[in-house]
Amino acid sequence: MALVGPNGSGKTTFLKLLNALLIPTHGQVLVKGISTAVESTLPEVRRVCGMIFQNPDNQLVATTVEEDIAFGLENLALPPEEIRNRVFKTAALLGLEKLLSQPPHLLSGGEKQRVAIAGVLVMEPECILMDEPTAMLDPAGRRDVLNTVRELNRNRNIAVIHVTHFPEEAAGTDRVVILNEGKLAADGASAEVMTDLQFLHGLGLQGTTAVELAALLRQDSFPLPPQILYNRELVDSLCSLGQNS
Amino acid sequence: MFIGTEQLTHTYMPGTPFATKALHDISFNFKQGDFALIIGPSGSGKSTLIQHLNGLLKPTSGQVVFEGKNIGSDKQELLRLRKRIGLVFQMPEEQFFSETVFDEVAFAPRNQGFDENEVENKVIEALEKTGLDPNELRMRHPFQLSAGQKRLVAIAAVLSLNPEVLILDEPTVALDTAYRKNLFDLLTGLNHKEKLTIIISTHHLDEAAALADRVLVLKQGELAMFGPAVEVFGRREELYSLGLALPPVTEIMHGLAEKGMPVSTSVYTLQEARREINKVKRRDRS
Amino acid sequence: MTRSITLGQYIPGQSFIHRLNPRLKILILVLILVLLFLLETFGALLASLAAALAMFALAGIPFSYLMRGLRPIFYIALFALIIYFFFTSGGVVLLRIGFITVESEGVEQGLFIVARLVVLVLFSLLVTLTTTPLSLTHGMGYFLKPLRYAGLPTEEVAMIMAVALRFIPTLMEESQRLMRAQLARGADFETGSIFRKAGNMVPLIVPLFVSAFRRADELALAMEARGYRIGARRTRMHEDIITLKDWGALALVLVLVALVWAFSL
Repeated sequence: MALVGPNGSGKTTFLKLLNALLIPTHGQVLVKGISTAVESTLPEVRRVCGMIFQNPDNQLVATTVEEDIAFGLENLALPPEEIRNRVFKTAALLGLEKLLSQPPHLLSGGEKQRVAIAGVLVMEPECILMDEPTAMLDPAGRRDVLNTVRELNRNRNIAVIHVTHFPEEAAGTDRVVILNEGKLAADGASAEVMTDLQFLHGLGLQGTTAVELAALLRQDSFPLPPQILYNRELVDSLCSLGQNS
Repeated sequence: MFIGTEQLTHTYMPGTPFATKALHDISFNFKQGDFALIIGPSGSGKSTLIQHLNGLLKPTSGQVVFEGKNIGSDKQELLRLRKRIGLVFQMPEEQFFSETVFDEVAFAPRNQGFDENEVENKVIEALEKTGLDPNELRMRHPFQLSAGQKRLVAIAAVLSLNPEVLILDEPTVALDTAYRKNLFDLLTGLNHKEKLTIIISTHHLDEAAALADRVLVLKQGELAMFGPAVEVFGRREELYSLGLALPPVTEIMHGLAEKGMPVSTSVYTLQEARREINKVKRRDRS
Repeated sequence: MTRSITLGQYIPGQSFIHRLNPRLKILILVLILVLLFLLETFGALLASLAAALAMFALAGIPFSYLMRGLRPIFYIALFALIIYFFFTSGGVVLLRIGFITVESEGVEQGLFIVARLVVLVLFSLLVTLTTTPLSLTHGMGYFLKPLRYAGLPTEEVAMIMAVALRFIPTLMEESQRLMRAQLARGADFETGSIFRKAGNMVPLIVPLFVSAFRRADELALAMEARGYRIGARRTRMHEDIITLKDWGALALVLVLVALVWAFSL
C-alpha cells in the first residue's frame, strides 16, 4: 500500500503511530487487535510492524552488517545461537552474505537500505512500514530496494506500507491512501486513485508520466481509455489507435 | 577549453595499502554557457570529479583546465578561482551555521572582503535570483524554513559570490516534485538570462535531460561517454546497463518507436512528447 | 577518505591471537605489562622483544604496521635517551665534550628504559591490531561491570561506546566534506591569530553539532522501532565464550610472570 500526500499532510506521523513510536491523543491504533497504547505490548507491536527510514545511515546502529541485522533480535533477548541462525538465513535471503563483516560506512546507499530491511525482516514482521526509503538512493539502489520489498510482499505475504512522493512508486502498489492536512482524502485501488488526475492536481500532487501524458493527449482528442496508469498501457493504447484509423 | 580536465587521475591515500583510484584518466571539457551534466551511478566518482573543478581536491596526475590554463595548486590562485566557480555541495542546507538567512548568504561575500554595503547588495541580489523574497526572509532563522526554501537559501549562499560557473552536486535530492521543478526553472533562468555555465552532477535525469547541452557519463571512475546530450541519451541500452534511467517520458517514446511508430526518441519533456505524438498521428491521418 | 579507518586499527585475521577471547587478551596484556616492570636484565628484555615479534609474525601482521605503531613514541624515546645519556652518571666515562659527560650507566639505563617502552607498546599494539574496537569495548565493559552496583548504567554506557565507534568514520567523512564545502564559500581556516582561527571554526563546529544531534534523534527512533528499551535485558549475537585455549594462554602467561618474579627476587 502506498501512503501519499503533500508536505505536512501527516504521512510520517501516521506511520509512526502504526508502530507505537507515537501514541494517539484520541482514538486508538490496533495492531493485530491490540491497542498500541498498552505499554506491555510494545515489543510485540514493534516486532509485527518493522520500520525502514529515509536516511540509510542513521538507522544502522552496529559496527558490522551482521551485528546490525542482529540488533532487533538482541533486543528481544533471544538466545545467541538462534540469533546467529536467523541472521545468516536472512542475510542469505537478501543476498547480503558477502557484506556481513563489513562496516556500514563502506556500503552504498542501496546496500545500507537492504541491510536495514534485513534487520527488520529477521524479526519476522507481518508488516513493513517504509518512510520514503528511496529518496536518497540512485536508480540502481532504488530498483534493488523496491524489488526486494515487492518480493517480500508477494512471496512472504508481508504487508507493506510505503510512504513516497514518487508517483511511479505509488502506482506500483495495489492500494493507495492519500492524506491531506491530517485527514484521509482518498483510499482505493492504485489504478483508480492514481488515474484521477484532477483530484491529484487539486491536492498539489502529480500523476505518473503515463497518466499525465494520457490526459494531455485526451485533450487533443485522442480517444484513450480512462484508466491508463503504466507506460506500457499508454504505448499499447496509442499504437492500437493507429491501427483503427 | 573553457572548463574541463586532461587525463585527470585521482587516487585516495596513494602509497598506502588502502589506496583507491577514484578517477582514472578523465579528459573532457564543457563550453562557456553550457548547461552540462555529469551523470553516473553512485560511487562512479562524480563528487570527486566536481571537487577538482574548483581546486578543492588536487589531481594525483593530469590537470584541471579553466579558460585554457591549468588551475595549478597555488593557494591564492585557487582562492580567486573559487569566486568564479561556485560549488554547491549535496544537501547544502547541512552547512548552515548562522542565525539569520542574511548572515548565511553573506558568508561568502564577507569572506571575499567586501564592505557591508556591497555585501548587502550581493545578498539581496542572490536571494532575488533564487526567487526568494529578501525582505521576508532575511531575519528568519535558516533552520525554520521549509526544505525547499532551505535548499534555495543554500544555493543563494553560493550565488552571492557572483560566480561565472555554478556547479551543483545532486541539487534535487530529497526534494519533492514541486520544488524540483522550481529548482530547474531557476537553473535554466540563470543559464539563459545571467549566462552562467551550469554543471550538474546527478543520477536523476527526469528534469535535467531536457535542459542539457553536453553530458559526461562516468562509470567506476572512468569516462564511459561524453558528448552532446542527444547523442549520449540516444545510447539507452548502455545507460541502462550502467544503472541509469532515462526520463519516463523518453521511455514511452522508445516504447512507441519499438512498436513501429515513427516518433523521435530525443524527447525529454511531457510537452515535447505531446507535440511529437500529435505530429506523427496527424501525418498518419492525412 | 576514511577507508583506512575501518574499525580503528583492527586488521582482520584468523590467527590464534585473533581468536583469543578479548577479555582474556586484556587480562593477559595487563599481566605482561606487570611482567615487563619486573624484568631487570637486558637478556630478559631481549627475550620478551623476541617473543613480541614472534607473536606479530604469528598474527600475520605486516612489518609496516609495527613501525607505524611505534612512530608515536619516537620522540618520547628520543627524549628519554637524551636525559639518561647526558644526565645520568655512574660507571665508566665514555665521552666527554666540555661540560657534558656520557657515562656507561646512563647509557645502559637509557637503553633499557627505551627498550622496555618499545616492548610495552608492541604488546599493546598486538592486542589492538588483533581485536575489533567493539570487542575491546565490551571486554573492558566486563571488567567495569562491578561499577553497576555503584549505580553506573554499564549496559547503556557500552551501547553508547558501540554507537560512537560505529559513527566515527561517518562523522570524519562528514567533517571533511563540510570543510571543503565551506572552503568553496571562501572560508579560510589557516590565516589569522588564534582568536581569529577559533572564530573561523564556527562554520565547521555548528553544522557538525546540528548534524550530530539530528543523527542521534533519527538513530534513537530507529533503535526504538527495533525494540530497544533502556534497562531491558539484551543478549548478544556473538557470545564471549572462554575456551580451553584461552585458559591455556592465561596459564602460560601466569607461569611466566611467576618465574620472572621468582628470578628477580
